[in-house]
Amino acid sequence: MQSKTQIDLLGERLKKGSRTEEDLTLLDAYRRTFRTPFEKMTRKIREKLKLDPSGRPAKSTSSVIDKLQRESTRLSQIQDIAGCRVVVDNTLKQVVVDLELQECFPGARRVDRLENPKYGYRAIHIIPTIDEKPIEIQVRSLLQHLWAELSEKYADKFGQDIKYGSGEDVIRTDLSELSGLIAESESLESKSFRRIIKHHAAGDKDDKVLEVEYKTLKEVSEISKKIAEMINRTSNYLDSMRLLH
Amino acid sequence: MIFLIQYNRQLGKIIELIQFNESDRQNAEDTRLAMEIKLSRDCNTDEVVLLEASSEEALKKTHGRYFKDIKDIGTLLKDASP
Repeated sequence: MQSKTQIDLLGERLKKGSRTEEDLTLLDAYRRTFRTPFEKMTRKIREKLKLDPSGRPAKSTSSVIDKLQRESTRLSQIQDIAGCRVVVDNTLKQVVVDLELQECFPGARRVDRLENPKYGYRAIHIIPTIDEKPIEIQVRSLLQHLWAELSEKYADKFGQDIKYGSGEDVIRTDLSELSGLIAESESLESKSFRRIIKHHAAGDKDDKVLEVEYKTLKEVSEISKKIAEMINRTSNYLDSMRLLH
Repeated sequence: MIFLIQYNRQLGKIIELIQFNESDRQNAEDTRLAMEIKLSRDCNTDEVVLLEASSEEALKKTHGRYFKDIKDIGTLLKDASP
């Protein structure tokens, strides 16, 4: 088994661009140590919470190297070598899953990217430690997830910098604006859910609550139109780039 | 199920996808390492990733980046907006 020092020295070599057979084999060996904790965690999520997580028992070499080069971190400190993802329909379900995971994995670290988005990325991350290994669980609403996937695809095409606040201007600005629109839409949706639940719990027969929710739905619908316009605009921009080059 | 994917970032496409049963995890990991070493020897920087999901359908939902192009995801985002 590799020591922490050996792992970090490996990380330094990878950071400098090493992809020797020996280093790839060492990295592979390190990644395999996350396999059993990953399996234990995903089994628990399936059996106890009846969710269907998908994930990676180990981050790809490209992603590990990207992270080492981008952040001042050591290989042994990377928290998301292994992780899984749960995508739910909306923010109400996200709240429920968040609470259930915290109950299922007491003491797990929680990162709230809804309160503190990272370059537009929004989600809840729960990071339990299983057999001394941190394993990341990403919980995303469908809109948050599709935004993240769009961001990943743009990063694949235009460079990973796009995901971290730099790179192609138009794309980066549009992603940022899109994230803001989704956040606004989900915030309205959340408030609406809370009011409906409160209304229902109180057995309130006041129809004014329904009027308020109808107005909220209209606001959400307006935001959806803006989201669609933005996506069309970006798509047209990309098409025009292909025409010019 | 386990999915070994070789993915070209610039093209945004899967170059190779190999499926394994869950019981074949060791073989999947060995194949991943062999693939990485071969690509490295060929100076090929394609991403190699091992993913697990209950089905290919489930994987496409949570890791659509590997299977869909930018326009597909844009359309899904428009359709998903309430």
